[in-house]
Formats: sequence, structure tokens, C-alpha cells
Amino acid sequence: MFQETVQVLERLLRSPSQIAKHCAADEDPRALFLASLCATLLGAAAFGGVLATSRGGLQLLYSATKVPLALVITLVLVVPALHGLAASLGQPLRLSAVVSLVLAATGRAALVLLALSPVVWLALDRGIGYHSSVLLAAACYALAGLSALGLLWHGVGKSLRGAFVIACFGLVLVPTGAQTAWLLRPFIGRPAQARVPFLRHRESSFADAMYLSALSSQGIYRAPEPNSHPAPRGATNLADDAEEAP
Amino acid sequence: MTESDVALFRGVEAAYSARLTALELPDRADEWRRFASGLALTSVYGLALGARSGGTSLLRHALGAPAALLAVSALAVPALFVVLALIDAPVTLPKTLSATARASASTGLLLAGLAPASALLVVTIDSDQVASVVTRLTLILAGTLGGLPLLSGIYEEVRRAPTGTRLKSVLLLCGFALFAGALSARIWSALLPILGGA
Repeated sequence: MFQETVQVLERLLRSPSQIAKHCAADEDPRALFLASLCATLLGAAAFGGVLATSRGGLQLLYSATKVPLALVITLVLVVPALHGLAASLGQPLRLSAVVSLVLAATGRAALVLLALSPVVWLALDRGIGYHSSVLLAAACYALAGLSALGLLWHGVGKSLRGAFVIACFGLVLVPTGAQTAWLLRPFIGRPAQARVPFLRHRESSFADAMYLSALSSQGIYRAPEPNSHPAPRGATNLADDAEEAP
Repeated sequence: MTESDVALFRGVEAAYSARLTALELPDRADEWRRFASGLALTSVYGLALGARSGGTSLLRHALGAPAALLAVSALAVPALFVVLALIDAPVTLPKTLSATARASASTGLLLAGLAPASALLVVTIDSDQVASVVTRLTLILAGTLGGLPLLSGIYEEVRRAPTGTRLKSVLLLCGFALFAGALSARIWSALLPILGGA
């Protein structure tokens, strides 16, 4: 079983089309399931741990737990959406095939995150600012997401219609994944912070925060709108609370 | 669960998806069942929207979400059929009913699929305005993609017509798409509390 799992891990990276065929065919999914889940948990945990290196301490453990959690929650939420989109656009797939496909794609994305971890660690070690590290993490998630969508494209059929299904699915995946991660903040944590919370208060939305964070990284600070904080935590820039999303 | 149970489950699952999106079903009763399945699946999406406020809002959204499908099917499609018949387009009632049922099922399947993600978004986004925008975008996506089977089903019939009739039919189908979109938007705005409706 171990040998088979390692082989599947290699195929996840090298030949997404073979993995997609495996998902669509009624073959034994155990090795694929195990390999994808291991890749998701280990890859995302490593990336989460690296993100927290600038803060250190308990944040390392929290981030290493929350990044895989965010990926798995997103996976669960978007599986029915891909099934519905594929069916209504004339590319119907069995639900079990969709589950395998999305799990494999998540595993692939986590492996990409694992590969990007040293780059992120180096950047954090070189002392890039908090807001720049948020944007760097968001760029890593975007790259990982694209590699996952590539595998899904093979799965729904590598055609114009398949590309349309994947484009529509991307419209669902991005806000869902971003909001899930937004709820599980913080991932990076600020060195100046005395206490490390496992979760922050619920506030505003991911899109607002990314926009303000991009402005803050360029030294442009804007105050949040008065009604955007139902539970105010002091007069801070909303961008200070912006963090990365898987 | 034994292996035969798993095989049976997969067979049923495959048959269910395929039946909902099949081009045409052999029995008229099956078409009605497919249409009703679409409405029921759309109600599931309504429940997800209602989770933002909970309580009676669940019921109001569950009833309001499929109302637009019902209105388009009961008001817009018969009107389209009459106008197409007036210009002597070769459309038949059974095929039109089948295309309508398929579009309903397709929209329902899509909205039910979007329900878990929508529930997360509408429940966790604080701003009413942003939650409303997310809902509008989801409904536009599902309405557009779900309406395609209806338009393509009817176009398949009118493509056999002479060029003049075919052109008029295509123009009518474009007008129908706009009308169905406007009607759905009106009904959802009026009935779904998350969009500011009653």
C-alpha cells in the first residue's frame, strides 16, 4: 500500500491526465484517496508552519493546523458545486468521481504549496514586511489553485466546454476558499502581538481586506468604513487584520 | 456496506444525474418528475440562503427560490410557444415541455450544488450588501447556465425551419432570454428577503 501511495503522489505531480482517468474510471480509489489526503495534510501543514515563522511560538502549531483545515473545509463545500456545474453544462460526472477529482486536485495544490515553502521561508527570513508577506502567501495560493484547476480540467474533459466548467468552478472556488481562510485567521501573526489567538473576531469580508492590504503594502493607509466592524477591536486599519487565504 | 451495495449506489447515482440532464425522457410523467426535482433542488438552495437569518426566513427563501423557475415555466415558456407557433416555427409541445423540465432540473442541480458554498458565504459575511451581491451573482450564474438547455432544446427544433423563420425564431429566443432573466430577477427581488424582498 505504501509503495502504491508513493506512486500515486508522483503521478499527481507528473501526469494529471492519468489521475483524472483513474478518478473517472470505477477503479479502487483507496491509494488515490490516501495519497491525496496525506499530500493535503502534510503539504498544507508545512506551508502553514512556514507562514508562522516570523511570529514563532504557538502560532507555528496553529497555522500548521489551520491551513490544512481550510483546504479540507473548502474541498467539502465545493464538491457539490463542481458536480452541479458539470452536469448542467453537459459534462455529467458521478459524485464519487467528483469527490476523487477534487481531493486529488487539493493534494496537488498542497504539494505545490510544499514546494513554495522554502521560497516563502527565505522571504520571511529576509524580513519582508507583514503586508508583503500576506500578498506573497496569496500569490502562492493562487499558483497552487491554478495547478489544482489544471488537474480538474483533465477530469471534466479537456475541451472548450470543460474549460468553461472549470472557469465557472473557479468563480465558486475562489470566494469560498478565501472566505473559509478568512474565518480561520490569523495564519502569519505579527511579532509585536503579545498573545496568539487561535481565531480572530469575525469582521468585514476577504475582498475588502485584500484590497486594503495591497494599499497598505505600498504605504497607503485607509481607515475602514464605520459600519464594517460590528465588533470593533480598537481603532486599527482594517488592512492590519488582512491575512492570506488558501 | 457490501461491494454490491456500493455498486448499486453508484448505479443509482449515475442514473439520477443522467436522468435529470438527459435530452429527453421517454415518459411524460418522468418529465414532470424531472421538473419537480428541479424545483425541489432549488428549494435546497433557498434553505442555504435562509440560514443567514434562520427561523421563518428558511421557509421564505425555500419557497421564494423556486418561484422564479415556476414563473418562467408557467408564464414565459407558453408565451414563447405561442409566438413561435404564430411564425410557423416547427416546435412541438412535448419537446418544449421536455426542454423546460430539463432546464428546471439543470438549474436546480446547479443551485443545490452551490448551496453549501453559498450557505458559508451568506452566513459569515457581515455586510448585508455584500451578502446580497453574492446571492445575485450566484442566481445570475445558475439562471444563465440553467436556461441554456431550454434555449438549445428549442433551437434544435427550429433549426430545421426555412432561413427566414429560423432567423425570426432566433431573435425571439434572444428576446425570451432577456424576458426570462428580467422576470426571474423581479420575482427573486420581490420574494427573497436576502435581496430585500418581502
